[in-house]
Amino acid sequence: MSTIAADRIVADHVDAAESVIETDRLTKRYGDARGIEDVSLTVLRGEVFGFLGPNGAGKTTTIRTLLNLLHPTSGSARLFGLDSRRDSLAIRARLGNLPGEFAWDPRRTGREVVSLLAALRGVDGLGRTEALAERFHADLDRPIGHLSRGNRQKIGIIQAFFHAPELLILDEPTGGLDPLMQEAFHELVAQERDRGATVLLSSHDLEEVERLCDRVAIIRDGRLVAVEHVADLTARRFRHATVEFAGAVAPSELRWLAGVRDVVVDGQRVRFGVEATALDSVVKALAHHEIVDLELAPPSLEEIFLALYSDQERSS
Amino acid sequence: MNGAATVIRDTRTRTPFRTQLVALVRRGLSDDRRGALLWGTGLGIASAFEVGLFPSIHDSLGTAVAGYPAGIKDAFGITDLGTIEAYLNAEMFSIVLPFALAYCAMRSVANAIAGAEEQGYLDALLAAPVARRTIVAGAFATAAITAAVVLVIDGALTTVGGVIAGDAVRAGNLAAGLAGVWALAMFFAGCATLAAGLVHRAGQVLGVAAAVLGAMYIFDLVGRLSDAVAPLRWVSAFRYYGAPLQSGLDVAGFIVLAAAGALLAAAGAWCLERRDVTG
Repeated sequence: MSTIAADRIVADHVDAAESVIETDRLTKRYGDARGIEDVSLTVLRGEVFGFLGPNGAGKTTTIRTLLNLLHPTSGSARLFGLDSRRDSLAIRARLGNLPGEFAWDPRRTGREVVSLLAALRGVDGLGRTEALAERFHADLDRPIGHLSRGNRQKIGIIQAFFHAPELLILDEPTGGLDPLMQEAFHELVAQERDRGATVLLSSHDLEEVERLCDRVAIIRDGRLVAVEHVADLTARRFRHATVEFAGAVAPSELRWLAGVRDVVVDGQRVRFGVEATALDSVVKALAHHEIVDLELAPPSLEEIFLALYSDQERSS
Repeated sequence: MNGAATVIRDTRTRTPFRTQLVALVRRGLSDDRRGALLWGTGLGIASAFEVGLFPSIHDSLGTAVAGYPAGIKDAFGITDLGTIEAYLNAEMFSIVLPFALAYCAMRSVANAIAGAEEQGYLDALLAAPVARRTIVAGAFATAAITAAVVLVIDGALTTVGGVIAGDAVRAGNLAAGLAGVWALAMFFAGCATLAAGLVHRAGQVLGVAAAVLGAMYIFDLVGRLSDAVAPLRWVSAFRYYGAPLQSGLDVAGFIVLAAAGALLAAAGAWCLERRDVTG
């Protein structure tokens, strides 16, 4: 029986295929109701891939389809190069899943949950359970029904990570966790990436995605809006500009410039948003005046997210 | 966790079906143990009470039965209440025990599949590399063992009641009666499993299976009273159950019920494999 070490995915698991998850026009409809429509995305080995969207956008439907809990209406999904339906057992042997609100029979303790899952997975002992429990201050010996939402979620984290899987599918994983535990969770995800694991992380905590993810897919009304490197997404969108002039400047000088918006004049200080593509023309226009101070700040991912949504809205 | 590596079995090695089944049944029995004790004790006390009562009412039963309308006697199979086996069959094994044990088995299956789905933890279970048919097999096997435990407790208390009263049920008859009830319960556990393969809520599963149980009982009852319906009694599970405590076990009927239950459970697994699991 060959084995893997929990602190590193051994080389023979890292085969030639680069993509760990690949969906091709994946569609799931519930009768006439929308689920997801033509979702095509690729998650590469070893990356932390964010999946962003508001409630009801289709994040959980996509994840449940990958896990073969839902059967696609059309399209296909491959994980580790295997078909998500036909080869589901082989796929699930290599992943860990954390739903948004971890649930189990309320009479069972966390230890009993992990014991059962360890037996089903063929894991000797409880793997990394004790270490994870210590890290998250989780009580493994109280019935799940007696735990708060946050403490239940800690058991969810343990059952998803205890067997050191190659792929982690995390659906809104930090719901109910206090800030300290969220921090501990973020560190764990970073360590898993260092170990060589691939992570698909669905979230609407944009800071979390910004901090943890390499790339992000944005989903809206069941359709993918964009798939971007987090750094590119931040870079190619607008900047917050604050300019302090030596003398008064008429706001109209800026308002009519292409790519400038939300101009606010406060004495000799002017604040506005400027698209990255318009920076050159704006700087040249500003150069006609004496500038005391100039500050450019990137937008938050939330602002990018909203801007992307409104762009899509306009184009549709 | 960053220190010495925890050695974990290669995730690409398939865990054997038997290992997974044993783990699921062990978990299921742990869930059901309290219910099994309560059902077994409750039914056993009721049976023991009836057995204990028999010697004191034995003489008056003959007169009472003679006064029953012929149709009623035919419908309920009451030919003679002169023996402890015939009396216990009429009081417990004709309706109370079959209905109670069938409900117990149906509930066990409904909770393990549709109940887990309803409460959202079938998702967590199915994130592990376990086939849905293995989960169904585990639920059905758990129901079979739980029902057997209930019957063993019931049988033990019945025997104790008889010994105390000085007129115990013959061991062979009691074993036949309990085996017959068990097979009947397995048939309805199979119905519940099929329902769990089709619907998503434990209440719906129990409702459908209980409706089949009630309908089959009434159909069999009507079939005994009506010559027109009698040829169709074969569609009712109660036709194969008969009165094993009194007449001995109908082995063919036992096999039909147990096999039909297993086939219905297999059909439930087939349906569950092909439908969406709701969260």
